[in-house]
Amino acid sequence: MLRASYFDGRSTRVRVVDLSVAGGGLVIAGEDVDVRIPFAEIQVDERLGRAPRRLRLKDGTYCEVTDLDALDTLLSWAGHRDGLVDRMQRNLQFVLFAFVACVVLAIVTYKWGLPWAAAQGARRLPPVIGKTLSAQALKQLDGRILLSSKIPAERQRALNAQFHALRLPEGGTPDSPLLFRASPQLGPNAFTLPDGTIILLDDLVTSIDNDRQILAVLTHELGHAHGHHGLQLLLQTSAVGAFLTLYIGDISHLLAAAPAAVVQAKYSQDLEQQADDYGAALLRYNGLSPGLLADALKKLSDSHPHSASFGYLSSHPSTDERMRHLRALAKPH
Amino acid sequence: MNEVSGIDAQPQAHAPEQLRFTGTGGEYFRIWIVNLLLTLVTLGIYSAWAKVRRLQYFYRHTELAGSGFDFHGSAVRILIGRVVAFVMLLAYNYSVRLHSIFTLVIIVLLAAVMPWLLRNSFRFRLYNSSWRGTRFHFRGSVGGAYRVFLLNGFLTIITLYVMMPFAHQRLKAYQHDNTWFGQTRFSFHARAGQFYLVYLVLLGALALFGIILGVVGIGGALAAMFQAQQSGGHVDPNVIIRFLLIVYGSLLLVGVAVGPTFHALITNLIWNNTRLGEHRIECKMSPLPLIWIGVSNLVLVVITLGLFMPWAMVRLAKYQAQSMRLLPASDLQEFVAAEPEAIGAVGEEAAAVFDFDIAL
Repeated sequence: MLRASYFDGRSTRVRVVDLSVAGGGLVIAGEDVDVRIPFAEIQVDERLGRAPRRLRLKDGTYCEVTDLDALDTLLSWAGHRDGLVDRMQRNLQFVLFAFVACVVLAIVTYKWGLPWAAAQGARRLPPVIGKTLSAQALKQLDGRILLSSKIPAERQRALNAQFHALRLPEGGTPDSPLLFRASPQLGPNAFTLPDGTIILLDDLVTSIDNDRQILAVLTHELGHAHGHHGLQLLLQTSAVGAFLTLYIGDISHLLAAAPAAVVQAKYSQDLEQQADDYGAALLRYNGLSPGLLADALKKLSDSHPHSASFGYLSSHPSTDERMRHLRALAKPH
Repeated sequence: MNEVSGIDAQPQAHAPEQLRFTGTGGEYFRIWIVNLLLTLVTLGIYSAWAKVRRLQYFYRHTELAGSGFDFHGSAVRILIGRVVAFVMLLAYNYSVRLHSIFTLVIIVLLAAVMPWLLRNSFRFRLYNSSWRGTRFHFRGSVGGAYRVFLLNGFLTIITLYVMMPFAHQRLKAYQHDNTWFGQTRFSFHARAGQFYLVYLVLLGALALFGIILGVVGIGGALAAMFQAQQSGGHVDPNVIIRFLLIVYGSLLLVGVAVGPTFHALITNLIWNNTRLGEHRIECKMSPLPLIWIGVSNLVLVVITLGLFMPWAMVRLAKYQAQSMRLLPASDLQEFVAAEPEAIGAVGEEAAAVFDFDIAL
């Protein structure tokens, strides 16, 4: 015998009833209620914490039971088996497993799944998207973070000519436009927009001051362009941003951070390495030494030693490590 | 112990009925983590079923006069609604980036369907909510939805948000005046003037704060200058740091305090002026506990990398329920469910495909 509340589905009246089992069916008896019903016609709500459970009958009436343990006993007599998810939620071992699995899945997705999916996506997106995004990013950055270059026009032309005279291992010459800008905020730097446009900053040109080494830096940037790293990173940060906004609960701007992401985002060690390798291969293909890129890196880290103190925060491999790798590539095999 | 707890066979007439939330974080964690795992494994498809379980957990643990609420929504319909919402979001984001005539077409199209979708989502949400086996209903007209969302939204924007309290009041009136519990109708009695008052209190608090901050700022600058003169042009970095700490600290405080304060004031106004038939509702939310819950929840969710989420949700639900009471005018056993024909006539079951959450 089990005490329950009975609701007729037509009013909010509470009727106190007793539930019992008789002849393969459930007996509901109490104030103006006397119902016998086969178990097959009863739908039992799953157990959610300590919430009362309901036994629903086909005519919209139901019984609400607060004594969950007694109900379990009654249900087991009746041969009722709880649903799979219900059993998962109640099984402490499964809950622990779910916890560990979620943590592992989150790490795996963030570290490998997301970059992989973003790389696939970046390769397949129509080029017009990269072009539109880059044009917009440039429009927003110009005049704010990026100022017009102070490098003399003939020097710019010369660097441009050398850069576009490079022969690519896959055939042809670079089709990435090369733009010159100044930016006191970004310091000696060069970066690649999602459509492959390379932006070379004045401070980098002046602190390296050697055309071949600057060319080496540009081959590294070509590596980013060749691997669609810009778009990949943009997709990655958008996905993370979308997830966070969903999780925190505000869903407004999915791609709002795009222009900032283009310059601020740090490539992963993996992508930097890929770009270095591409650059090294390209230099060697053009009869130049990969050591040039290492020399350029050395000059940059020497001229701005303070930026190295942030090295442990960024995902960049340390400059020393990159230089060692490049010098190893420079040695004749 | 075979006793039905909390249900008085003969309830005292007219005694206030406290809303209670009886769930616990530890209990909800189990449901939440299984939901999360299944959602990840099914690449998000399970999220609709997860939502049903989440709502059921919260509804069933919310108790009034000894009986819990219940949620009956179908996960498949929620899934359809989510797919539609996702496609609309994608279309919007993509078109905004394009800057062409296509952008305008998409925005106009979205504006045109949005009120209708929102009305349907209210209908879906309420029709699938029940207490003691009697369902809620939303019977707002489509025309009303276009008025409160499109027309009032437009008025709000062209009057530079002067009309916003008015639009907010109209939205709440549209929602609450058109909500039924069985055959008993809710009614909404707050006037636009009262909404303006709450918005003015908020603006006043912000202005006052701005003035204080300005005074502190000028004072800080003067102190720094004075010191610089004394020490012969050298400004003590500690003074600047202290000054920046005060400024940023205050800004953070405003950001943290304003939202919950406004939420408490407006929620109280809305529910204290809502009636269910002859029954009155009392809502006494205060800003300080809300601020505390909000800040501590955020900090704990961040430092546990999201794992505190179930406890955070339960804490908030507990406080929200605890601040609401129903003041019955008569016996709560007397509500009558809507006739099945009436439900069929408005097409509540068939048409309510879309489910969105509107956070107002």
